[in-house]
Amino acid sequence: MTKKVKILGMVLDGFTYFSAILTALALFMIMGFVFRNGFSLLSFDLLTKDYHANHYVATLNEDESITFTNPGIDEGYFVERYGIIINDTKNLSGDTIIEVIYVEEYSPFNALNNQNDQIIALEEGMLLSRVTYEEHPTSLTNRGAYSMAEDLNNEDRVIREVMFSTVGGGIRGSLIATLYLIGLTLMIAMPFGILSAVYLNEFAPNNKLTRTIRSFIETLTGVPSIIFGLLGITVFVPITSSLTQANGSNLIAGALTLSVILLPVIIRTTEEALRVVPNEHRFASLALGANHTQTTFKVVLPQALSGILTATFLAIGRIIGESAALIFVLGTAIKDRVSVFESATPLAVHIWSMMTDEPANIALSSTVAIIILSIVLILNIGIKLSVFFWNRKRSVS
Amino acid sequence: MDKVFQIDDLNLFYDDFQALKHIDLEIYRNKITALIGPSGCGKSTFIRCLNRMNDLIDGVKMDGCIRFDDEVCNLDGYDVINLRKRVGMVFQKPNPFPMSIFDNIAYGPRRQGVKDKATLKETVIKSLKQAALYDEVKDDLNKSALSLSGGQQQRLCIARALAMEPEVLLMDEPTSALDPIATQKIEALISELKEKYTIVIVTHSMQQAARISDYTAFFYMGELREYDATDKIFKAPKLKQTEDYITGRFG
Repeated sequence: MTKKVKILGMVLDGFTYFSAILTALALFMIMGFVFRNGFSLLSFDLLTKDYHANHYVATLNEDESITFTNPGIDEGYFVERYGIIINDTKNLSGDTIIEVIYVEEYSPFNALNNQNDQIIALEEGMLLSRVTYEEHPTSLTNRGAYSMAEDLNNEDRVIREVMFSTVGGGIRGSLIATLYLIGLTLMIAMPFGILSAVYLNEFAPNNKLTRTIRSFIETLTGVPSIIFGLLGITVFVPITSSLTQANGSNLIAGALTLSVILLPVIIRTTEEALRVVPNEHRFASLALGANHTQTTFKVVLPQALSGILTATFLAIGRIIGESAALIFVLGTAIKDRVSVFESATPLAVHIWSMMTDEPANIALSSTVAIIILSIVLILNIGIKLSVFFWNRKRSVS
Repeated sequence: MDKVFQIDDLNLFYDDFQALKHIDLEIYRNKITALIGPSGCGKSTFIRCLNRMNDLIDGVKMDGCIRFDDEVCNLDGYDVINLRKRVGMVFQKPNPFPMSIFDNIAYGPRRQGVKDKATLKETVIKSLKQAALYDEVKDDLNKSALSLSGGQQQRLCIARALAMEPEVLLMDEPTSALDPIATQKIEALISELKEKYTIVIVTHSMQQAARISDYTAFFYMGELREYDATDKIFKAPKLKQTEDYITGRFG
């Protein structure tokens, strides 16, 4: 008998270990995958650069013949005649490109004329895509930086036109769109969610209607977000288009859709936080001649604040992670200039957009995934720390 | 003698259960009235009628008449907030808010719109002194109220009630969660407070009732069985049942 109990216990323990290991393994596999694919592309530039490359065509102002000296950079190929250094590199799709590493202050390339006769500069980090000459063959990227540098240094050649571009592939626009969505959604969903929870838990009589509303809210948490996306595109996009200067999909409609997705989560979390506030405190407040509203807002809500904080962070996590509903409401066109009255892609949709390109850009998608995972991780630590400090401030150490 | 409360034929029901049956009682000004009786006899229910805390419990029905200062106070239109300002309450378990000592005591006055810092501070210090807690906490009034000991917390709750300058103080077994030394301090405090306040106290301790109260009411099964000066109740009770209860033969 005891042996049987022992074996059963061991089996059950084994299952718990196995489940825990499996969960941890799944997490490590995801982390491992995105880090292996995306880590090499991770850089600060990625966060600040535009996604779409800007192309420039320009002519040289005047072709004085000054000879520049190399400032002591070993990499790349130095062009004495123009004071620039260029080098071979590969872009995010794996093609060979020529990157500008250095531009001398007095280089003619620092003051080029574009087609509208404005002065533009070739900047470090830009890509030199083509140089055309009078009566000579064009220098192209695919012949490499060495060849291009040699052509540029050739005294016989007179430059007719220079074509260069920014690198592109950055996520600045999508990052800003994500921040806009977080801000707007919290602004809409938090007050409504918290106040609904306060109503349900503190004011509403415990009757059939309240119970029905509560079970509706619980059902809403289980609805797939793509259905909310349908609601967004059929209700919120037309409404916001007619009420604001927006014309078609816009971030406000996206935020409204996310708010509807988040409301049940916020209401439930807040209600749980309100429920643990001891009734003695409500009674104490009422017995002191405070009215119901004062009791709710001065005694009950402050005590539920750490729970509400958790709700907020959970909400932010959901906003960052949501893609299905937003693909409907916002579309998948990645934008660099973000406005709340226009469509833009948040990070999750940014990944979706890159993965549906031909060919799919797995490496850059993984890099964006790393960024999303880090934001979620930082938020999680944020929740724990703020709840910890809040509780420590208010109670016995 | 000056009556603060006059209760006539009070009946109270929790749904179908009758918790109080035909209670007639008078509570005298600046006296301590103790309510005794075995658990479930209705004494806590009764004390909660006096500041209408029973309103907060679902399914409570009440009939009969409670007069506070010659005004019927158990009617629907009566200003309950005002009643609770004049009739303070201390609960069985110390229940300070998770705020600083200062904010706890200033809570009541602030809800009535007192904003002036000097006035609030004066009220807080006065209440703490009245509750015999000031000397123990004067160094740091911004300390969390939860860092105080159980006895100190209960005196803080008394101070918090006193800050509203009530006329009556209801105490529902205020010492049952405390150790003997804390209990002693609270009892001494209650005797002092008698000078200015009318006190109604529910207690399970016969000694406590005998030590501090002027009048004692014995409740049994929702009925008020005997009500008289404490001396008489403890020395020469009219009913055998009262005698049995106070001598500990049942309870």
